[in-house]
Amino acid sequence: MDGRKLTAGEIRQGLLEKHFTAKELTESYYKRIYEKEPVIEGFLTLCRDDALAQAERIDEKIKNGEPVGRLAGVPTAIKDNICTEGIKTTCASRMLCDFAPPYDATVVRKLKEADAIIIGKTNMDEFAMGSSTENSAFKKTRNPWDRERVPGGSSGGSAAAVAAGMAVLALGSDTGGSIRQPAAFCGVVGLKPTYGLVSRFGLVAFGSSLEQIGPIAQNVKDCALALEVIQGEDRLDSTSVNHIMQKGLKDADEEGIKSMKIAVPVEFFNSGLETEIKAAISESVEKFKAMGAFVEEISLPLTSEGLSAYYIISSAEASSNLGRFDGIRYGYRPEKFKDLNELMEKSRSEGFGEEVKRRIMLGTFVLSSGYYNAYYNKAQKLRRKIKEQFIKVFKSYDIVLSPASPVLPFKIGEKSTDPLEMYLSDIYTVNINLAGIPALSMPCGFSRSGLPIGLQIIGPHFGEEKIFKAAYALERELKLNSTGPEL
Amino acid sequence: MKISVEDINYIAGLAKLRLTPEQAESMIKELERVLSHFEVIDRMDLDDNSPDTCDCSINPVFRQDEVFVFEDKEKLFRNTGAMRDAYIKVPKIIE
Repeated sequence: MDGRKLTAGEIRQGLLEKHFTAKELTESYYKRIYEKEPVIEGFLTLCRDDALAQAERIDEKIKNGEPVGRLAGVPTAIKDNICTEGIKTTCASRMLCDFAPPYDATVVRKLKEADAIIIGKTNMDEFAMGSSTENSAFKKTRNPWDRERVPGGSSGGSAAAVAAGMAVLALGSDTGGSIRQPAAFCGVVGLKPTYGLVSRFGLVAFGSSLEQIGPIAQNVKDCALALEVIQGEDRLDSTSVNHIMQKGLKDADEEGIKSMKIAVPVEFFNSGLETEIKAAISESVEKFKAMGAFVEEISLPLTSEGLSAYYIISSAEASSNLGRFDGIRYGYRPEKFKDLNELMEKSRSEGFGEEVKRRIMLGTFVLSSGYYNAYYNKAQKLRRKIKEQFIKVFKSYDIVLSPASPVLPFKIGEKSTDPLEMYLSDIYTVNINLAGIPALSMPCGFSRSGLPIGLQIIGPHFGEEKIFKAAYALERELKLNSTGPEL
Repeated sequence: MKISVEDINYIAGLAKLRLTPEQAESMIKELERVLSHFEVIDRMDLDDNSPDTCDCSINPVFRQDEVFVFEDKEKLFRNTGAMRDAYIKVPKIIE
């Protein structure tokens, strides 16, 4: 069988109606993975035995007439910075190359409880620092639409695996765009939830005040369903939020978007935005108007300054969070060292890659005496201003539309020697993390050369339902070719 | 923004990283370029804004500080380099 064209909902239905078994479906996905993975290189670890055992458990439940979870039998890939019990979780770093967590992240536990099948761990930029997945210590993932190009990052392996039909769902993490930008580059749907909606317990920390785990899927409905499963307060994460449960698409999908108020910030369409992206986004804006939405241009003046604030705050948090990797208790340790200081310095200098070291240096610099006020403190002040700016916009509008990336997927190696150039490609996504609001990236068209273009739909705090409603309406209207890239 | 070799080595020391002279040189160039870009916010007048240190509008999860026993201790020790009896063996860390 080939389950590649089935949605998560169709897989569950197909299992219940006994059109196929979970084991058959899982086997079919591994067959595809073994065929396509040598080309895409999206996975760092595959867990076939565990996946088949889980599939058999689901088949047994169905055979016995027991209820099954909402993601029953759905092949799901997990970014390699999210802990999976007994399965290597390396963060694509030499530092953690042998690390197998003793517990599951809360989101992984929830997926398993919903009877999803964890098929493997996906490649990423080391410790989620990067926008191309080229910073992985182990392999370079290729964009399924053009194998000379990057899949975006840092959740590039997750987005590529879904786009290549090697997984139905994937989890990514998004600190400054790391779900949305790869989703845009790979032509799939990715959501960064509101800060606090999804537990971060078991996510290896990079920028704790900014990051969220979120779903990547082939379509809006699957993305919404995955969010419904993984969301919710968690006693193991004090930044998860009480009593706020989103309904995803359940009640919203058939209502359409008539009378929805949509803002389009002019600053997101300035120079630096590739013309084909601009044209595709404008076309989507027109579709929203035609569907009965009220669309208006607005000004969000702090967009470019936000990029600086983001890199200051995230690097500062990274320098602190990554302080735990000292070579003493676990992780990479050099064979020879003469004293404690040399042990730590060698562990970190040999265990971390170039970009991680650069961010640690940057973070240490902006937190150091004499520079704290000029950089870190000011960035935190600007962060508040940006958040207030968004809150004000959402008093008058339901959602905001923008591009997900100013550039189309770039060639492997094209930006990897210029860190600032790479950072600038995050300009449309980082402000959303600073404000803690949710945003989704979805395909809205293709360039002349056949590369996917991503539209970003931004919502107010805990406004995921509005985002999904708009995204679902546009997805139905655009009717983009859903057969995926040719591989 | 100008960064000296002494500055970069001082920061590397704080960050417990060791840079070769060539790495220090290229790190200086990269950080100078990035920090020059960041200067845009130092020029902004943000005195009326307080730093965004917490979001007090949301209700976070609190729990009692209770002990939960992690049953499978073997799993916890799986990632340690070496064990002696019930102790994790680490390099000498007291000087």
